[in-house]
Amino acid sequence: MTRRTQNNDARITPQELRRNGVRQVLEKIRRAGGYYVTNTERDLSQSDFKNRIMPHTQFLVAPQRNDAGFFSIEITGGASVHVDMLRKQMNPLEKLEVLSANMPDTLFQTLCRGVNLFGYRPYPENVIRLTVRSFARYVHVWRVFDFLNHVSNMIPVFEEVRESGAILEPSICFSTGPEHTDAYYVGKVGEILAVTGEDILLCIKNHGGLGTPKRIGALVRAIRERYPDLVIHYHGHNTDGADLGRIVAAVKNGAKIVDASDHAMTGFYGPPPLLTAVDILSDEGYEAAGLNRQAVIDASNILRGEREHYRDFESQFLGFDPTAQIHKLPGGATGSSFEQAVKGGFLHQMPNILQNELPRVHVELGNWWSVTPGSQILWTTAVNNVLKGARYRDANDDLKSLMLGRYGEFPFYRPSDSIYEAVFGKNWKAILEHEGGYQRIEDVDLAVERKVLEHRIGRAATDDELVLYLQHPNDAVDFFKFEAKYGKTWVLSPNIWFRKGGFGLGDKFEIPDAYGRLHAVEIGPKRRTKAGDAVTYLVIDHHPEPILTELEGEGVPAKKKISFTPKEIEALAKTGDVRSQIIGTVSEIPISEGEEVSAGQILIVLEAMKMLNNVIAEINGRVAEILVAPGDRVEVGDPLIVVRTE
Amino acid sequence: MKEKSIRKILIANRGEIALRILRTIKELGKGAVVVYEKPDSEAYYIRLADTAILIGEGPRCDYLNIERIIWAARKSGADAVHPGYGFLAENADFSEACEKAGLIFIGPPAGVIRDLGNKVVARRIAAQAGIDTIPGTGDLPRGEDGVAAALKFGLEHGYPLMLKASSGGGGRGIRKVVNEKDLLVQLPMARQETLSAFNDENIYVEKCVEAPRHVEIQILADRHGQIIHLGSRDCSIQRRHQKLLEIAPANLPVDVLEAMYAAAIKAARQAGYINAGTVEFLVDARTNAFWFMEMNTRLQVEHTVTEELTGVDIVREQIRVAEGQVLDIPRERVHLMGKAVQVRVNAEDPKNHFMPEGGKQVEVYQSPGGPGVRLDGVVYQGYRVPTEYDSLMVKMTIRGYNWEQTIQRLKQALNGFLIVGPATTVPFYLAICDEPDFLAERFDTGYLDAHPAVFQYAEQEREVAKLARLIAEIHARKINPFAY
Repeated sequence: MTRRTQNNDARITPQELRRNGVRQVLEKIRRAGGYYVTNTERDLSQSDFKNRIMPHTQFLVAPQRNDAGFFSIEITGGASVHVDMLRKQMNPLEKLEVLSANMPDTLFQTLCRGVNLFGYRPYPENVIRLTVRSFARYVHVWRVFDFLNHVSNMIPVFEEVRESGAILEPSICFSTGPEHTDAYYVGKVGEILAVTGEDILLCIKNHGGLGTPKRIGALVRAIRERYPDLVIHYHGHNTDGADLGRIVAAVKNGAKIVDASDHAMTGFYGPPPLLTAVDILSDEGYEAAGLNRQAVIDASNILRGEREHYRDFESQFLGFDPTAQIHKLPGGATGSSFEQAVKGGFLHQMPNILQNELPRVHVELGNWWSVTPGSQILWTTAVNNVLKGARYRDANDDLKSLMLGRYGEFPFYRPSDSIYEAVFGKNWKAILEHEGGYQRIEDVDLAVERKVLEHRIGRAATDDELVLYLQHPNDAVDFFKFEAKYGKTWVLSPNIWFRKGGFGLGDKFEIPDAYGRLHAVEIGPKRRTKAGDAVTYLVIDHHPEPILTELEGEGVPAKKKISFTPKEIEALAKTGDVRSQIIGTVSEIPISEGEEVSAGQILIVLEAMKMLNNVIAEINGRVAEILVAPGDRVEVGDPLIVVRTE
Repeated sequence: MKEKSIRKILIANRGEIALRILRTIKELGKGAVVVYEKPDSEAYYIRLADTAILIGEGPRCDYLNIERIIWAARKSGADAVHPGYGFLAENADFSEACEKAGLIFIGPPAGVIRDLGNKVVARRIAAQAGIDTIPGTGDLPRGEDGVAAALKFGLEHGYPLMLKASSGGGGRGIRKVVNEKDLLVQLPMARQETLSAFNDENIYVEKCVEAPRHVEIQILADRHGQIIHLGSRDCSIQRRHQKLLEIAPANLPVDVLEAMYAAAIKAARQAGYINAGTVEFLVDARTNAFWFMEMNTRLQVEHTVTEELTGVDIVREQIRVAEGQVLDIPRERVHLMGKAVQVRVNAEDPKNHFMPEGGKQVEVYQSPGGPGVRLDGVVYQGYRVPTEYDSLMVKMTIRGYNWEQTIQRLKQALNGFLIVGPATTVPFYLAICDEPDFLAERFDTGYLDAHPAVFQYAEQEREVAKLARLIAEIHARKINPFAY
């Protein structure tokens, strides 16, 4: 309890933002003696725990974090909106509503991918505007970026954020290499300011933790020299272990806000420990404005006990990775890359992919910024190149869209002709001429979308549900169905949620439900009914209840899993037995049963790792059978379509 | 008449009413015998009796078998029989057979049951007592003459009309006809139906009072010429002529109620009534004019509201009357202050035409408690809803000082039920408790048709039950498939 709130007046709260507006808050930051700290818990969870830090943990530590006096806490955005529904089974907007009730004095921050919002592909403008308006009810600081640093791709978000009264924080994505000069970035800042005016925070988004402290210090200084009143927010990752140095250099050169997170949870790919940065800077004469040091420690003391529940989600490769400077993978994509490598069985190929193929692809494709969705394009292409043994073959649709200029011009240079030829074939020039150019996405009819959603869930949908559905339709519908069946499960502790191997007989849990009622659930025996159903007895609020569960275990023949190698799958495809090469979700089936297809025609579009992948006919024939439907999840080797040659 | 003390009573019934009667028998220190059919052998109430006798495989036929029941009474040494309601309760032959076998039948004499059981005779009795009856015909002659008589009645009194089975009861054997054409179509069907249902093809026609209120007066009569009333019950809330929710007393002006009490007593006297009975009236919801409808010669399902309101144990009085004792209920014990409501918690799905949930198991049963809450039921955790009998699980009777308080207590008590397994009528009653006309104590027999919204209640599953479902999945699968 030594250094309790050193400078409470310096703290910025949502009430103050509402009362005084953005301009006065920015002025307060400029006038503050030291600098502010943002807790990027969202990035910590995404980078080091495969996005799995559960709401239960966030609620547990909410009072301490609220007392800590951060400038803001980044608690939503990035991949989290998707993962909230997909793996945490919580409504991302409800999460914000409940959390903000528990952290009323702290600004909430999001990371928004411009036209790609919280997803991986551009959204129609009316969806973008609706989504921003919806999230802006809870989010006070909007960090916005475009993976090609195209300012025009961010404008609809900019406009809606300003309209909502929240703080706008446009980003310049940062990378290294000969093209990435101070002059280039200062020019970008000028482009942004020309659109937004001066009432913004500017983020230097160092998503890969690239460059040395010296490099970051120089960049901050260069921007400050040209725009002395601009409030700079430095964001970095600690992949190489050097982010503390970059933070110190940024602050010393005039950055007013820096990103870090709770020391008890920090890993290798996300933000560095917040308190360490604060203590180093303190000795250098820079004080963290509004920060309650003890509350930061209290928060970590709680989190330390929680960390064990998330052990399964920490990286398969422990340790810092200075080769991040080579592969430039963003910290936020590292966790999911490893997850995919484990599921796809190519974990052993990771050093080769990361240190050789990925940097090579990166340079070949234009040395722009490896950040969503660009990082996925680079990563998927590099993985394909290595696993298939042939480079740029069967390129995914997103790479094609990028090379056709649909997301905007290449910022520095375009890939070589030979790569265009490998991707599009001999006719690549005609294709480029015919199909190339920026692609504007048409608005969707929101009334029609709502009808489709309501048909799929079989009831009226709320406005929030429509917003979530527009982000990730299949996963949102799955989540709504989950919630109807299992309730608001975010009240469950990770000890229950992530439990493997079942519970012990007599294990007892006290569970407050989402409506504030306290319940007791005790594990009873498992039995089989006369009808052969598996039944688990739970003692719910002191009354035993039998609950039917999925059949498992002895006596029941488990679905036999046949595993195929990619070569076998390819060989089967040549016989007309078309199987999935990847783990993914069926996105589209452009053909129908009975249709004649020819070799090279698209049979099915699968979505995996946020990328669209075409399944192509290897032979001419007639579609005899379609074995999957849009929305189905498929595993490697699962049959998709049968093509028969007459 | 000489008093004859009863020592041991056989209950010729099943389910909640058997238990209800049994409780009073035990309270009086007498012996209690229950009979049961095979499907009821797991019922817990039969274990509370001094003697339980299996009378057959059932279902239903053995509870209707007079010989078997007389046999069981002899075997057990019972000296009296209580018939409950339904089954043989209004069967004059049964009453007669008991008398012949030297058993005291706890109910009216056979002749009275026979007279009042025939609706045409009952209407004549009422008319002789000077009570208004709904205009109607006597038993229609067979064939074309009957059709002609019905058509003539329709011309004189106007449509709609009711076709009623003379031996009907409990809401069965009633058809509404809206015009002549309809009458010609329905008359033969009604005759056929009544023949198969009651083994008596006699039917008659009555003028139909649209959306009337259904109000009844409970009376008690001893063998010494004393007849008293225990106030009124409003049974208007019905579906297809089956009562769902009953209220005591009816919300009517004092002078109307007084007139009904007097009429009920007169009717009972005219019929030579002895024991507990109920005189049913139809009341015009606008004018409060009332007509004699019928008289039930048994203990009613809804007798509990009268008991809660008056503090009188009707079963106890039935037994005392059967012993030949003089009714000695002091006036001050028959207070009619406050309100009582009874709801029938059935294992039925109100949203699916009250389809019984027969065969389902009650996985969890928790019942409410607190001031003014009375439960008469046979349900327990593990109870199987019978497919062989009715789906009544428990009757809940709520007593309060006034309507508002009673409804608040009713709501709270309904919320206190936790029944997992079959669908029940509980959420349906809760929806009624929030309906403005009901809250204003305004309802008639058209209530449910006029308020279809009360069927639109949300299916509210307990949040903890949903969470438990996931915990069970995580436990059984050994991993949470939604987390990885």
